[in-house]
Amino acid sequence: MTAREVAIVGIGQTAYGKALPGTAWDLALEAILGALADAGLKPADVDGICRFAPPFEPVSEPQLVRALGIPELRFFAESPLGGEALGAVLAHAAAAVTAGLASTVVVYRALSQSRGGRFGRADGRGPGGPVGSGKAGGDGPEAHVVVPEEDNRSFAWPYGLMSPGQLFALWARRYAVVHGLVDEDLTRALGSIAITQRAYARGNPNAMMRDRKMDWDDYRGARMISEPLRLFDLCLENDGACAYVVTGAATARRLRDDPVYVLSATQTLSPYREPMGIYVTGELLELFPPSTAERLFAEAGVGRADIDVAEFYDATSYMPLRSLESYGFVPDGQAWRYVTETGTGPGSPLPVNTHGGHLSEAYLHGMNGVLEAVRQLRGTASNQVPGAEVALVGAPAGSAMILAR
Amino acid sequence: MAVVPGMTELTAPYWQAARENRLVVQECQSCRQLWHPPLPRCPHCHAAGPAWRQVCGDGTIYTYTVVRHPTHYAFADQVPYVLAIVELAEGPRLVTAITGAAPEEVRAGQPVRVVFREVADGVTLPYFALVRYQGDDHGTA
Repeated sequence: MTAREVAIVGIGQTAYGKALPGTAWDLALEAILGALADAGLKPADVDGICRFAPPFEPVSEPQLVRALGIPELRFFAESPLGGEALGAVLAHAAAAVTAGLASTVVVYRALSQSRGGRFGRADGRGPGGPVGSGKAGGDGPEAHVVVPEEDNRSFAWPYGLMSPGQLFALWARRYAVVHGLVDEDLTRALGSIAITQRAYARGNPNAMMRDRKMDWDDYRGARMISEPLRLFDLCLENDGACAYVVTGAATARRLRDDPVYVLSATQTLSPYREPMGIYVTGELLELFPPSTAERLFAEAGVGRADIDVAEFYDATSYMPLRSLESYGFVPDGQAWRYVTETGTGPGSPLPVNTHGGHLSEAYLHGMNGVLEAVRQLRGTASNQVPGAEVALVGAPAGSAMILAR
Repeated sequence: MAVVPGMTELTAPYWQAARENRLVVQECQSCRQLWHPPLPRCPHCHAAGPAWRQVCGDGTIYTYTVVRHPTHYAFADQVPYVLAIVELAEGPRLVTAITGAAPEEVRAGQPVRVVFREVADGVTLPYFALVRYQGDDHGTA
């Protein structure tokens, strides 16, 4: 991809809430129609769709084509592995536009966790379907739960390693071990991130936690979920949808004065380094090869110092901490000190998760971070970083994008 | 109620060995590398037909978490429990749980040894227990 060949011309979203009245399908439509209206486009203009692959994204291309009345979709692609899709869907959309396979590509993510599929529960309909509901020994109270083998889940679930929060707790503990942190160091680092993001959410009318103050007493007093992670180290569970529209740069400039250009977008996969990888043969903390971040910046033609704001995927507070290191903003092993001493709040060298993130705005698989980056670059964010020109949006497993105005 | 592993052609030998109180990992017949979880071929030299090799059962805690909030009803009466990644003496790492220790006793780096527990009829899981040396609560001689 060549920098500035394509742009994001429209963004749209629903309200975020614990239990919204619409189905995921309806929420997706609301967000997409909003994004198209924001871009000055009509549904009939859409000829491409890129999305997170099932089982994560519940709303399909045929559902959208039908409900939006898109005459013909000529490019559609799906990216697997949950959060790993974050940069990939944009990379695919941008590649389609530059290759001439599509001219107007919609990217979306819809979630209705209130209707089943809560990411924080393993015994309902999880994002992978009714996993673990298979019974052996009849349906009586003594029936056992049989975990079908899929991606090594049968080696983890029988021990009670079933949810992302538990897995990320293993990562966070490993971080403390490798870098010699005592519990209090880790608490202060994770709490600094959670409290900073809550403060951002308090200034964001879209944020689910906009009315909920949180100080150190609140943070420390919250119950432990999976040590060292407390309640407020974990993301929200909610309903909602986000969408954006990608076109070629020339079209984007005709549509609006402030298109947000795509400088680069990456996807990456190495052995056992899928987003929830745990059998990494090297150091568990290295979630993607350093070359991935180098590629992201090299293709964009910018350096770390050029990034004005970062939106890091934060299923837990540990991920922005580690992302500061793995994307090269802070040396390995120093982010825990950096977030407590320098911080990521307003006026810091690199404001992070200025919408409140998954911890305090809403959980949309990273897509709400993309929308926040676009608002920052347009100069219309609630917690505007003055003069923001270049933004990075990144997931912990290395799927990322650099955007610029 | 227990949560038990579903098995495939590839993974069944691991669980069958556990039933016999043996901990096994795959070993390449050609380049002798070991790995876990199971793969159809050696990920290093791509030789087919890896063998199952019994390991000594000793290892160290690579990382761990004390789960205090159950995310599945099957574990509602088991919290708190200690999940761990254990690095075997032979190299590969396993997801497991630490048994026979209070959560506050568990530290990364501690030596552990496999113990087998039948969790359901015909289903045995390898767990790990702290290796305790006399006079040292943390087993770090």
